[in-house]
Amino acid sequence: MNNNFTAEIVIGLEIHVQLNTKTKLFCGCPSQGSSEPNTRCCPICLGHPGSRPVLNKEALQLAAKFCLAVHSNLASQLIFSRKSYFYPDMSKNFQITQFEEPLGAGGKIFLKSGKEIGLIRAHLEEDPASLSYPLSMKQSSYCLIDYNRSGNPLIEIVTRPELASPEEARDFLNQLISILTYLKIFDVNNGIIKADANISIRESGYIRVEIKNITGFKELEAALISEIARQKQLASEGKKIQQETRGWDSNTNTTHLMRTKETEADYGYIIEPDLPIIDIDTEFKEKLQLEIPELAQEKIKRYIRTYQLDPVDAEVMAMELELAELFEKVIAQVKPQLAAKWMRKELLRVLNYNKKSIRDLKFNELELIELLTLIEHHKISDTTAQKIIEELMVKAFSPKEYVAKNKLEQISDDSELRQFCRKIISENKTAVEDYKSGNDKSLNFLVGQVMKLSKGKASPQMVSELMKEIIK
Amino acid sequence: MIRETKKVLEECKKIQEEYFYFTAICEEEALLQAETANDPLRGLFVSVKDCLCVKGVESAAGSRILKGYQPLFDATVIKRLKDAGAIIIGKTAQDEFGFGSFNTNVGLNVPIPKNPLDRERVTGGSSGGGAGLTRKASFNHVAITESTGGSIESPAAFCGVIGFCPTYGRVSRYGLISYADSLDKIGIMSKKVSEIKPVLEMISGYDQKDATSLRAEVDFTAKTGKFKIGIIKESLTKGVGAEIRKKVQWCINKLKDNGHTVEEVSLPITFAYGIPAYYIISTSEASSNLARFCGLRYGNKTFNVYFAEIRSQHFNEESKRRIILGTFARMAGYRDAYYIKATKVRTKIIQEYKQLFQKYDVLISPTMPVVAPKFSEVKKMTPLENYLMDILTVGPNLAGIPHASIPIGKVNNLPVGLMANTDHLQEGKLLEFLQIIEDLGDDSP
Repeated sequence: MNNNFTAEIVIGLEIHVQLNTKTKLFCGCPSQGSSEPNTRCCPICLGHPGSRPVLNKEALQLAAKFCLAVHSNLASQLIFSRKSYFYPDMSKNFQITQFEEPLGAGGKIFLKSGKEIGLIRAHLEEDPASLSYPLSMKQSSYCLIDYNRSGNPLIEIVTRPELASPEEARDFLNQLISILTYLKIFDVNNGIIKADANISIRESGYIRVEIKNITGFKELEAALISEIARQKQLASEGKKIQQETRGWDSNTNTTHLMRTKETEADYGYIIEPDLPIIDIDTEFKEKLQLEIPELAQEKIKRYIRTYQLDPVDAEVMAMELELAELFEKVIAQVKPQLAAKWMRKELLRVLNYNKKSIRDLKFNELELIELLTLIEHHKISDTTAQKIIEELMVKAFSPKEYVAKNKLEQISDDSELRQFCRKIISENKTAVEDYKSGNDKSLNFLVGQVMKLSKGKASPQMVSELMKEIIK
Repeated sequence: MIRETKKVLEECKKIQEEYFYFTAICEEEALLQAETANDPLRGLFVSVKDCLCVKGVESAAGSRILKGYQPLFDATVIKRLKDAGAIIIGKTAQDEFGFGSFNTNVGLNVPIPKNPLDRERVTGGSSGGGAGLTRKASFNHVAITESTGGSIESPAAFCGVIGFCPTYGRVSRYGLISYADSLDKIGIMSKKVSEIKPVLEMISGYDQKDATSLRAEVDFTAKTGKFKIGIIKESLTKGVGAEIRKKVQWCINKLKDNGHTVEEVSLPITFAYGIPAYYIISTSEASSNLARFCGLRYGNKTFNVYFAEIRSQHFNEESKRRIILGTFARMAGYRDAYYIKATKVRTKIIQEYKQLFQKYDVLISPTMPVVAPKFSEVKKMTPLENYLMDILTVGPNLAGIPHASIPIGKVNNLPVGLMANTDHLQEGKLLEFLQIIEDLGDDSP
């Protein structure tokens, strides 16, 4: 038990991320593709006698990139070990993983708040096969094994127990996914992220409970909330919390006991004799270092510093690589603050509404730049702009031509607008008086009337300015 | 070629009736290969130790737990031999997974091969079938076998043939059913030194399917001429039969007469710690290699039969002993004291050999401390006495250096082997030296 803890809640994570290599970690089978069971396997990932693993160098590069990006110390040698245990999902009844020295030692990832979460290690290993049960695990009389996943490359990332809440854990996973996508080493749509979490609370004197096999970050947050509630409840009833391992059931949103006795797991590690130890030299490190792009957290700082973006806008623009790339193309021609505001409030709103992501967009930066330029120069009203974004979800078109064709251009002619304003002022004497006596809402009413009169083609800002000027 | 092949197969069947050298004679496949057999190895018949995968032919490493297992692929060695025109005639007997020095630790219900010179005696192991057949076969034959700690040298010495084991990594292990991967080496047995080189050239060289295979150039020519020879002094102590020592001495005298230099050398670490280091490393790896044999996919029961039940039923005693030994040696709390320490000892042993090779071309010793014992004698031996039979062979196996056993005469009408070792990748020099020994002849009456 660690008595150095002081926080209310202490959480540590062990996360498995599937790297998006073309082929598996130790054989040439595709790591993605057909979901038909047992179609992506060979004697090596099936563990046939006489077959041998050969390292996929791409997996090493991707994993090493991650280590460098999170400031983890890259090992000078790549050493694989065999972790032995008997389980039907294991083709060899040992897993090739790293034990003697992990690929990356230490490292850190920053949360949204700027809080630093330390990493203990990050290492490469092979995924076991997947088991599928016809009913629940306990009720099934048989189980089927699918070796498609067997041998897929994983990195295991272990954090220090420095997360203080389920929200922080979720944010950590979010930051992690952002880094992984920035590095292009994880396929956010098809790849799998799994986490084991250990949780303890102050009331129990930090007795550690481990939760196994949580998939995805919403699940992680839910599992942690549920487990903390359970522990707090026990503590408030004066009951003892046991050191134990629990499973997570996403259907019932509860954790259940798996085993209590936490004996030191004995995996009988030996060095994998079929894989020679590989030297990781400085040349390899330096070359990879150059391939590491500016990451989200750095981008956020730069957006705020260079473009004076609102911090919330900056974070939203930066967290997702594809959005950040689009944003940076757009601001080459549009005012960054305006672009950020519109992309966050409108583009993402429409995407979320349609349950789509940036990569599903039917248009590219050219259409977006055209649209934002129209807004920037007050050529169209916000309402029109919103409508165009919605239309663009269906198919790509030129916003400029669309505006011209549908005569949606805002009235920017000063004299025409002044006429509208005077007309409304003369028809709404009471509202004018109210405004003069200090009621700002009356101004909004008057502007609204002008907008109506202009059939939405006037710019509310311009009308508002003119109104103030005339009434004065 | 087909007529010749049929004749060879007939002879094999006849030998099998009395000596049990085969686990399988692949008649159909051999005749099929005979139709297309081509140069450069046309006319060569090859037997293969059971632990090497031959596509479509039962490959069980001598174990009942793999009974009926037919690999989907040829081991790289087999593929290269077939492509070169050799004909594979069958799989040869071995100790279960290679766990033995006499070929008496066979799998359950597997017959024990008999010594070609005295059927009361063992062939040596674990490659007993290959050695016996090499001695008995009247046709153009080599045996492809495998050594982890002496499995080529021991039976070669006991059966009176040449057993040649190249540098670790020289020959691809792809398709070799593992005993201990960091020690396993595929080698060749033959009657004559000259038969080794053409086959060795065929099977050597880098293979992308084996990450430990070496990219070194395949060239086995050497012109050392006069050799600087080190005779390992620890191998001429009381533990080795007096008659055997006498034979080796005869050999040394002859070599000196022929103008070679022979000096006494010492390998203190190897002889003090070689056996424990070898048994710890090899069983640690072996126990993990055997884990996959759990009845889930290999074996004659369906998958949901409890692993332990299957393993208890189908592994023989020595396999169980090595699984337990190896699992213990790598257990948390013990692994630093045993497994990790053994790997460090191994590094020291390699250094010890390397140092001697700075001064000597070849190091020699007797191959085995005894001549082939009787089955009844082996039965009386304790496991430890059994393991001590490897005292002379574990050194080069741990060091991964090329080594070979070659007959140098007989004691009580039973063959004695001389073991020669050269530095890493010096197979050419080793072959040159073996030729010198072969040319010395035999002083036996």
